[in-house]
Amino acid sequence: MKTGIFICHCGHNIKHTVDVKRLSEYFKKYPQVSVSEDYPFVCSEPGQDMITESIEKHGLDRVIIASCAPSLHGELFKDLLRKKDVNPFLLRRVSIREHCSWVGDDIDQNTEKAKRLILSGLYGAAHYVPLEEKQVEVNKSALIIGGGVSGLSAALFLSKMGMHVYLVEMGKELGGHVRELKSVWPSRVSGADIVEEMEKELRARPNVEIFTSTKLSNFEGFFGNYEATLNTPEGQKKATVGGVVLSIGFSPFDPHIKPELGYGRDPRIVTTLDLEKAGDSLDLPDKPRVAVLHCIGSRDEQIGRPYCSRICCINALRASEAIKEKYNDSYVESFYMDVRAHPRGGEEFFEDTQEKGVLFTRANIGEIIPTPQGIVLRGEDTLFGETFEREFDLVVLSIGMSPPETSKEMATLLKISLDKDKFFLEAHIKLRPFDTAVKGIFIAGSCSGPKDVEESINHGRASALKLYGFLNLGYAFVDPFISIVDPKRCSGCRMCEQACVAKAIKFDEEKRVVHVEEAACMGCGLCNATCPSSAISLKGYVDSIIDDEISALLEAI
Amino acid sequence: MAEQSATRVLTCIQCGKCTGSCPESGKTPFNVRMLVRKKQFQSVVDEALPWYCTSCGACTIRCPRDVKPSEVIIELRSKLVEDGDIPVAIQKALENTFVQKNPWGRSRNKRADWVQKLDFEVPHVSETQSKRLLFVCCIQAYDPRCMVIPVNVARLFQAGGMEFGILGEEEACCGNEIRRIGESGLFEELQEENLAAFQEYGVKEIVALSPHCMNVLKKEYGDNTGIKVSHYTELLAPMIKSGALSLPGSFEKKVIYHDPCFLGKQNNVFDEPRDMLKAVPGLELLEFSRSREVSLCCEGGGGRMFFEVEATYQRNAEVRVLDAVEKGAEIIATACPFCVMTLEDPATEKGLVVKELSEILTEVL
Repeated sequence: MKTGIFICHCGHNIKHTVDVKRLSEYFKKYPQVSVSEDYPFVCSEPGQDMITESIEKHGLDRVIIASCAPSLHGELFKDLLRKKDVNPFLLRRVSIREHCSWVGDDIDQNTEKAKRLILSGLYGAAHYVPLEEKQVEVNKSALIIGGGVSGLSAALFLSKMGMHVYLVEMGKELGGHVRELKSVWPSRVSGADIVEEMEKELRARPNVEIFTSTKLSNFEGFFGNYEATLNTPEGQKKATVGGVVLSIGFSPFDPHIKPELGYGRDPRIVTTLDLEKAGDSLDLPDKPRVAVLHCIGSRDEQIGRPYCSRICCINALRASEAIKEKYNDSYVESFYMDVRAHPRGGEEFFEDTQEKGVLFTRANIGEIIPTPQGIVLRGEDTLFGETFEREFDLVVLSIGMSPPETSKEMATLLKISLDKDKFFLEAHIKLRPFDTAVKGIFIAGSCSGPKDVEESINHGRASALKLYGFLNLGYAFVDPFISIVDPKRCSGCRMCEQACVAKAIKFDEEKRVVHVEEAACMGCGLCNATCPSSAISLKGYVDSIIDDEISALLEAI
Repeated sequence: MAEQSATRVLTCIQCGKCTGSCPESGKTPFNVRMLVRKKQFQSVVDEALPWYCTSCGACTIRCPRDVKPSEVIIELRSKLVEDGDIPVAIQKALENTFVQKNPWGRSRNKRADWVQKLDFEVPHVSETQSKRLLFVCCIQAYDPRCMVIPVNVARLFQAGGMEFGILGEEEACCGNEIRRIGESGLFEELQEENLAAFQEYGVKEIVALSPHCMNVLKKEYGDNTGIKVSHYTELLAPMIKSGALSLPGSFEKKVIYHDPCFLGKQNNVFDEPRDMLKAVPGLELLEFSRSREVSLCCEGGGGRMFFEVEATYQRNAEVRVLDAVEKGAEIIATACPFCVMTLEDPATEKGLVVKELSEILTEVL
């Protein structure tokens, strides 16, 4: 066995608190170690060259890289091995940054710890065997769940790229909340026009199947070959799809949850969405006094919505402007905590609204009391430091975005996660903002957190592009970490069958033993841990590897 | 009680929700938001200010950053209590509670005197099957106006076949107001004494007469007492609904119901008292323009029962009575002894009668 050990300084990140020289010297004494080096940045090009050259020069068959966490640069280092025709699963990453140098300041202790971590990698890697990555065929079709603007833009993109698209919408028609908007800021076109144009284009495409009033009822399978069951008004329909774009949008905040706002107790207290729908039917005096309240259902710890909904400041400005334009002599007062008119042009819009005569008062209204004369708002002007009680003819609550009502149900069906606010969680907030933890399932639009119309459209397109990149290859590599059953040891108790979440374990009635369907296995190891006869092992994580790694950590150095 | 976490205080964004919700702001020099800001910067606070707070809880219930401003006030008071810079009346109430276990300093031996007004025996809680304790507490035990409340509730329970017992002289003040005055040491003593008695007699359920007692027993005596705590209206309402308690009389009056802060906004008991009133034959139930979650505080809580603040302003009780008159009410009903006490004076002046719920029910029994 010929092992190469490469220890990274990570600039000062590791070198500052770990004696890297002492480490690289130390491992030279092991007979199976052909080369032991330390280097400022192993991930840099010269660092990579050092590794490929060493593989060639020493004929290495094991590579240990002691550096950052394995999730970082994983594929990069695997590719180095592939280039030199070494099986990439003979690579061992040891984290001496996150697990060591970043944790403590004592150089001696850190170096001792790093030594044990690397040793454990060395012992474990000795048991490694080359693993074959399996190639499976990928179905060039996509399921889009949710027919709002982000779903529509994802569907359009994918269908134009030649993918077969199934678009599923729970409601009676496509378009989501945007359809309700009279004028979408900043373009000022009607929401209905936007979605109808998209819908028209989509309906004209032969490779698109649209299902309205339809819900996803079951979902199984694996990347490239997911099986979705749809409950359509015409009955159940099955679809095999390569991947999914989830774009189920948001639920408008229900102000009943905040009883001090008096919503529902008087028709003169409305939400921004109610105002859109009411249009000309509003019964207001010639010189109406209108209050507009920001941050309703946003930035509020009391109701579990600590986040900013991002859209409601612009909506509040739009509402104020609409009233001012319709009633020249109106008195419009906007009550805010902060005005976050963040999209491009938003600050200027805020300025315009001020110029039009809308007054802005920094106050989070304490309570709203409907009286026969008018709606009384009680609050404190925090800039004057004075409490006020003012009467209005109309109160508009600029409501925020709550997570979609079906988010929990959908998360369970697709086996993906929600964040702390119950929106869908992305795989990485910066590096993989469209992906979920499940391969081939992407999230788009406001179901992954508050977004405006423009952002939702872009987000839908971006997720679709990512999915297209996966599907267009036509094939996919499946991780070789799958469970294998030793039929001689299997007692046929079938406990593993119940433990398996991927439904990959099948029982052979004739032989009375189980076997694993490789394509479906996710490599989670649940069956492995459940088996009372130790008949199941997980490729790449067999017991002997783990045993030896543990003993390396525990043995006296 | 844990000190209100300093980090939460630092998260205050000075939005003014607290001041906008506060029953004292505007008419008195009291401004909650400003006090929280001063706390953030450790600035000096005028020592008269913290005593305006009625501990109605609106600020803490609505604060978008969960800063718990009312707890910040309690901390400011604690400091003043520690330094002895407190109003004489407050000082007296604390001393009385320390010695006689009630803020009025009445003899502890007389805590169960009210039972003499009944024509049946009330057992000690240890002698009951259900181990259901009627927690009477100070104002109902001693105040001549409020002593009718335990008498009435006992009669109603007896009539409806609801078994209960009392602790008599062994009961100590619940400590709700004491904690809010800022005397946490004394509060802990009272809590320990009461908990020891509950444990000794195997109390399984507590029925409180005052929403203030119910609040502290339910929320601040610790999570693991295993004792169910309710307000008496929460027991009577279902008894009336199921027919266990029948109300044969008639009460032909226009009654307006005032939500006590500690029963309503702080503990979400809004419907039971209303259901009880609606069940009274002949009674017409009215609503204040500010009711339920936005009910206006009567200013009887947070130690305000024991002393008068310096400022002169139109008291909320008066505002309340004027609203009741405008709504055409003849009687203001409420379910809290403090509310009864504060509303009664301005109501009498306007020719209105204030009744505690149990009084109306007893009249139709």
